[in-house]
Amino acid sequence: MLSGYRLMWITVMFDLPVVEKAERKAATDFRNTLLDMGFEMSQFSVYMRFCSSQSQIDTYILQVEKSLPTGGKVNILQFTDKQYERIITFQGKKKNPSKKSPDQYDLF
Amino acid sequence: MIGRIVEVADDRRHLFLSRGFLVVQDTEGERKELGQVPLDDITAVIANAHGLSYTNNLLVALAERCAPFVLCAANHNAVGMVWSIEGNFQQAKRFDAQIAAKQPLIKRLWAEIVKSKLQQQAAALEATGAPFVPLSALVRKVRSGDPDNFEAQGARRYWGLLLGDDFRRDQQAGGLNAMLNYGYTVLRAATARAVVAAGLHPTIGLHHSNAGNAMRLVDDLMEPFRPMMDLKVWQLHKQSEGEVTPESKRALVRTLYDDMQTSSGTTPVMVCAQKLATSLAQVFMGEKDKLDLPLPGLPLSLAASLQDD
Repeated sequence: MLSGYRLMWITVMFDLPVVEKAERKAATDFRNTLLDMGFEMSQFSVYMRFCSSQSQIDTYILQVEKSLPTGGKVNILQFTDKQYERIITFQGKKKNPSKKSPDQYDLF
Repeated sequence: MIGRIVEVADDRRHLFLSRGFLVVQDTEGERKELGQVPLDDITAVIANAHGLSYTNNLLVALAERCAPFVLCAANHNAVGMVWSIEGNFQQAKRFDAQIAAKQPLIKRLWAEIVKSKLQQQAAALEATGAPFVPLSALVRKVRSGDPDNFEAQGARRYWGLLLGDDFRRDQQAGGLNAMLNYGYTVLRAATARAVVAAGLHPTIGLHHSNAGNAMRLVDDLMEPFRPMMDLKVWQLHKQSEGEVTPESKRALVRTLYDDMQTSSGTTPVMVCAQKLATSLAQVFMGEKDKLDLPLPGLPLSLAASLQDD
């Protein structure tokens, strides 16, 4: 069975220099690479992705490492789906309901 | 990999590619975005409505990832699939091995699959509390190539035992039959992806020989997994669900993630199908001599999977 203790999330957080034109381009390229890998923007400079196993996470970490820009700082966080459920989100003063992890079946 | 199944069942939808995502958009009103799914996570896209539109970019991106784009007719039978012509870096070598495979080997492999299917059918019956001995007794009798066609004999008894004597398996009928069609379509799409990804040609089958069927190998390899779908349909039937609805579809698709027993531990059905396809390619290449088939399902674990959702 798919267990919330096995399903994982990976978060990439970054601070990149955007003073020079070349730096801005590098930052945009990095963001686009994350989107191409299926990361969704959670906040500016915070991207998250749902993974079905630790090995999938390890693959993405390697891929992120390959596409790192030269300057700046990048943090990669990994946690289980159970921990993801406990994220508390505020929008202004209002507390948002916790987000659900994606279902294996999407009907549109 | 445990991927996601995306189904588009409403007429007014436009599908397109945006960076690494499949995006679904409403074509009416404000053209609202309804959702997006990472392409790398998709096992299959099932196009089940008539008014859909999609971009070529999207079909290319899906094909690059071996994810079939399934075109469905009425009654939820798949009529076509768009998918990759190149799924594996060793594909050409594996096609050669597949074509060169000798009859005795092919017959032995088919017998292994039939045995596995009968075992799974017996396990499904046992989980429902129906008499399973008529099927499990057949397992030992299957000979190479299944010349006595125990597969068909088993099926004849199986449907009566599982869904009652009045039930007739009919691809054109509605109700439970349509639910089975839908379940098999999803299973077929997932298996097709596994076959192509393993670098095998889907048309060169082991047993299925219908000249009009381009997916003979897929139909061969999905046999052992059908009883899992049958069991789910039985369960839905017990909960007085008799039609293909969004809820019953969800339940049927989720069957792909139910556990089966394998020699290397419990794994979801979808992963089992991938292991089976890969092991077949290895057998053809002479790297292995047995298929990775699921073990006879433990009735207890099957029964447990009947209890959730």
